[in-house]
Amino acid sequence: MSQNFHFLTERERERERERMACFDRASPALKETLLKIYRAEKPIEMDQRLFEFGAVEYHIKSSASDPQYVYLSISTPLLSQEVSLARGISQGTAQTIKGIHSDMVELIEPAAEGYQLTLRLDFYKIPQGKESSKIITEIASIQAAILSCQLKDMLTNVTSQDTSQGMYKPIKLVYHPREPFFVVRQPEKTTAVFPMRFQEKTDVIIATAFFQELMDVGSSEAWVKVPLCAWSPIPPPELRGEQMEDLSTNGGFISFDILPRHVKGKRLDKTVWNLLNFYAFVKYHVKCTRGFIQRRMRKRLDNLVKVLHVASSEEDGYAIDPQAAGCGCIKSIISVPKPNNTVRRRCRNFTRKIKRMRCPIKIQGFRRFRRRWLTVPKFSSPFKYTKLD
Amino acid sequence: MANSLRLYLTCIRNTLEAAMCLQNFPCQEVERHNKPEVELKTSPELLLKPILICRNEAEKCLIETSINSLRISLKVKQADELENILTKKFLRFLSMRAEAFQVLRRKPVQGYDISFLITNYHCEEMQKHKLIDFIVQFMEDIDKEISELKMSVNTRGRLVAAEFLKQFV
Repeated sequence: MSQNFHFLTERERERERERMACFDRASPALKETLLKIYRAEKPIEMDQRLFEFGAVEYHIKSSASDPQYVYLSISTPLLSQEVSLARGISQGTAQTIKGIHSDMVELIEPAAEGYQLTLRLDFYKIPQGKESSKIITEIASIQAAILSCQLKDMLTNVTSQDTSQGMYKPIKLVYHPREPFFVVRQPEKTTAVFPMRFQEKTDVIIATAFFQELMDVGSSEAWVKVPLCAWSPIPPPELRGEQMEDLSTNGGFISFDILPRHVKGKRLDKTVWNLLNFYAFVKYHVKCTRGFIQRRMRKRLDNLVKVLHVASSEEDGYAIDPQAAGCGCIKSIISVPKPNNTVRRRCRNFTRKIKRMRCPIKIQGFRRFRRRWLTVPKFSSPFKYTKLD
Repeated sequence: MANSLRLYLTCIRNTLEAAMCLQNFPCQEVERHNKPEVELKTSPELLLKPILICRNEAEKCLIETSINSLRISLKVKQADELENILTKKFLRFLSMRAEAFQVLRRKPVQGYDISFLITNYHCEEMQKHKLIDFIVQFMEDIDKEISELKMSVNTRGRLVAAEFLKQFV
């Protein structure tokens, strides 16, 4: 392993770490809009709708007459259709949202029509300076908090409804559309199973290599504390009985065994966020690896071409044979490169054109005059015959 | 370098040195045309027998010679799926930039991964031994590059996997 590290420079590794840490919980568009309202010198009248991932909708409403309060409504698809929620959001989720700066954020009930949640943000209570950006970022990450709460509920509460005929029933969760994953709740552990699908064969192979590395790293002694990870090209037995379309994959199935110690205290939040973003993480890795391969190929192409160009330039006479070169001092003083074939050809064409242009108008008797007076006399041997005009 | 690879490359080098005695030869079919006979194959008397040099089933080199041109086709080893995809990607990348190489064919001969076409004009413009050096070095570099790329991809995967698991701790 350590031998292979030289292929990635320290800078590349650092950059990679930064990239991997950039799965932001806050919605960038929402954050920008809220900051725009907050930083505006004059109160802004705004009634704006934002859409994310096709199904998440934000409605931001601010009034110029009442600049203190901004209303934010959120509609997000539920993680699971099987875990039915009577109205809007669960109690746990509501508690979590109330916990986010309770003095500045107020949960309005009932929520605006068509939304699961409406919040009233008190912008007068947001402190000035860097703190304001931090608070607005937290507000913009409420959608992630809602989804995380749903998964948290599932990971922490195992009920008797999860079993049917002695088997534990998998719950289908949809965080990103077309990328569902399953959670199988058992008394001693919870298993998260990700069916992996990719559009291209290259992606499948890069991802498969990654999964194998993930399994190897996860099973090593240094990583005993992390959830056990397993990859299989066929569906795991826990998913027996699920719909065929959910089980047909080209990248196999990745499963994580979540033990009670992985969902204790602060680790619960990390575990939930990692599971929700596993798809995005893998796809991002595949994309970066493709870019890395492309960069490397481009670099290699330059080196290969250089070899051929050296051969070509040597043939043209730019490189000098050391044996035939002799003493280089005179050549270094008068160093005029030899014209190559192209230059010679161009010179010849140019001379021809000049000759053609020389006398475009015919004057009676001028040819004779030119021959008599304007021609440069040729050197001729006195022993040879010279034609007289 | 592995001994078997050295022998394989030496054999190719010697064969190329013998085969690369090309001369200008106008087309016999079309007047005022000069075409690589190894591609057209219009006159059998202008062609030599093709030579196939194999290191193993997966790695081979086909050298086809004619009076005014030479075609070298290479098959590069692909031990697993990752190598296969990397080889295909890399050689396709090179083929799409064939104009930079002058002697590279845009489309490889069927059954091979990459092909070169050397004409008597190439031999006149570039030195013969330099061309042979280039082909041999190209073969060496491709092997090396593919194995390095494979190791890099795996190393990246390992680092990323460690980074992902670190987030659980």
